Amino acid sequence: MALYGRHLGSGVALAAVVLLTASPVHAQSAAALNAEAAQNDWPTHHGTYKSYHYSGLDQINTGNVKNLEVAWMHFPERATRGLQSTPLAVDGVLYYSGSYSRVWALDGATGRTIWSYAPELDEELVSKQTHSPYNRGIAIGQGNLYVGTVDGRLIALNLKTGQPVWDTKLLDSKKMTVGFTGAPLVVKDMVIIGAQGGEWPHRGPIFGVDSKTGQKKWEFFTVAGTEEAMASWGGDSWRTGGGGGWMPGAYDPETNTVWWGTANPAPLYDWSGADWKKSGPRPGDNLYTTSVIALDPDTGKLKFYHQELPHDAWDFDSAVGEFVMLDRGGKKLVVHANKSGYIFVYDRSNAKVENVWPLVKNINFVKSIDPKTGELIGRRDLAEGKVDPPLCPAIAGGISWNSGAYNPKNGLFYRIGQEWCMEMTVEKTTPILEPMAQLNIGATFKFIPPPDGPARGHLSARDPVTGAKKWEVNYKYPPLASVLATAGNLVFVPDAEGVVHAYNADTGEELWSRNNGMGHNAGIISYMAGGKQYIAVPAGWGSLVADEFVALYGEPFKSMSKNTGALVVFALRQ
Amino acid sequence: MRILFVVVASLAIIWPGPSTVSLAQPSNSAGSPIPAEASPNDIDGQKMFATTCGFCHQDGGRHAGRGPKLSKSERSDEFIIERIKKGKMGAMPAYGSVFSDGQIIAILAYIRGLDD
Repeated sequence: MALYGRHLGSGVALAAVVLLTASPVHAQSAAALNAEAAQNDWPTHHGTYKSYHYSGLDQINTGNVKNLEVAWMHFPERATRGLQSTPLAVDGVLYYSGSYSRVWALDGATGRTIWSYAPELDEELVSKQTHSPYNRGIAIGQGNLYVGTVDGRLIALNLKTGQPVWDTKLLDSKKMTVGFTGAPLVVKDMVIIGAQGGEWPHRGPIFGVDSKTGQKKWEFFTVAGTEEAMASWGGDSWRTGGGGGWMPGAYDPETNTVWWGTANPAPLYDWSGADWKKSGPRPGDNLYTTSVIALDPDTGKLKFYHQELPHDAWDFDSAVGEFVMLDRGGKKLVVHANKSGYIFVYDRSNAKVENVWPLVKNINFVKSIDPKTGELIGRRDLAEGKVDPPLCPAIAGGISWNSGAYNPKNGLFYRIGQEWCMEMTVEKTTPILEPMAQLNIGATFKFIPPPDGPARGHLSARDPVTGAKKWEVNYKYPPLASVLATAGNLVFVPDAEGVVHAYNADTGEELWSRNNGMGHNAGIISYMAGGKQYIAVPAGWGSLVADEFVALYGEPFKSMSKNTGALVVFALRQ
Repeated sequence: MRILFVVVASLAIIWPGPSTVSLAQPSNSAGSPIPAEASPNDIDGQKMFATTCGFCHQDGGRHAGRGPKLSKSERSDEFIIERIKKGKMGAMPAYGSVFSDGQIIAILAYIRGLDD
């Protein structure tokens, strides 16, 4: 452990004194974290542990949203690849992270800077990484704020002052290439975080770290982490790796279970075709890649799992997708989106499949998925050479890592889907074991429109368990930011062109929009400060999927800056 | 300037058997056996491109994607080699300490040989 970094706060000591005397040290309320709706605070990445991305605030509603206007803005420095994070809000203070794991604490009502923090990173290592230097979020708990770094560290900052509390090196990123880009998750006294990536030869570990001391308590290898899993990789092919848990999972307090999604195995594409159980670079099911896994947060022990795509041959991670926990007909369920465009519904007690339904129209990597068992029916395993017909969806997925939202009042689940395919040629490559700075893809490819129309996106409002659709809004360019639902009966969608839309949650009617001037590929939250409701959305373009838009669509993306950003906060006009 | 390219690309092409492995293949310092499917014939710029570069340069470099189209590039050999080695922050990783000079030349040879 080491304490270093550049602390940028002005008047930090004074601010700390003011804050400490103005309110007691905030302890994350278990009730707030376990609630269906985020209320005054937005205490965790997905809103609450139930992961609804739903605010219980209704000051801003269908009747007055037309009066929503910019309250304040904040401009982060070094916003390389834009902004990709989801802010948090606690006790009227907004916290968010930017590229290079920089963190800001801002007065939620005025935007005044309370403190900022910029860790010193291994810049040479950062320059070698593909999924770098962005950061997708933070966690708060036990009086600290936690942020991962792309050079393999998890850092705790004092929530009130921004001063480093501990700084723990969890990954040898110089050797592994991978670090941390996703938000951590705080469960009781444990901070849980997953490593990035599915393209590198590491074992995608998920870590449990003591929130007080920074000591690593456990490490779960998502690649061959048990004897059963090791047997699912032919020979020593587990060494090709993958399986990063690169987005945060969720916690079910009723069973003391953490749910987490894992990435694809490496290489993304292999040439084994139908003989994938016996040949190719990674013969077998490749557990626990492209899986949802249930861990004991105290020990890191695996409780149960479901592998959504055994031997994922298409780069359709389970690392994307929040875990929406809801009860229906006496059953405790969890709904999880897979990158392939399928939504999986599980029994929360054992990950038994309760239903599977497609969110997107253009899918041909399988004929279907059995809704009762989750078995892949008619899977297309790719052989060396040209893939014909083109693969749908494309590598960016039918679903990306941005989260959907669920409104418990009307029972509708709002999610962005993507319609695109890709021409590709699978190449027989040599498995990469070390050094680890190289991607392991195994194909060349090119995005193309799907058979049924242009490459596009859509937001649909559906029953989360059956998939029955109530309404849909189509977009020329797939939105790449998360969705927010509120008790004001609104659904907010920050889109790729730079426009934030507000829709009537029951009908999909657009009630308000505002152009932020650059595309969105981050989160969106709502919170209360000084008795007033705010909507906060980071704008700033440049994710890896966003990068595809220039070739696919040309303008406005060709001219859109991708190394800048702004946090834009809205409130009702007085 | 293509002189360096022609000389070194020729070396890459005519370099004999086992040494070629160490030149143009991702290193395997772990000492793990190369899988049976791999052979020295796998080791060329095209394979390397499909392993790593095709993630961003689409259709084997013939089409823009996350990265630019590379076929018929008007950039000089020196520029392309430098870009592979040093990358571009926020856009392309630096491969200078990952790939050997021979590997980089093999990739360059592949790029220069691309049709549209």
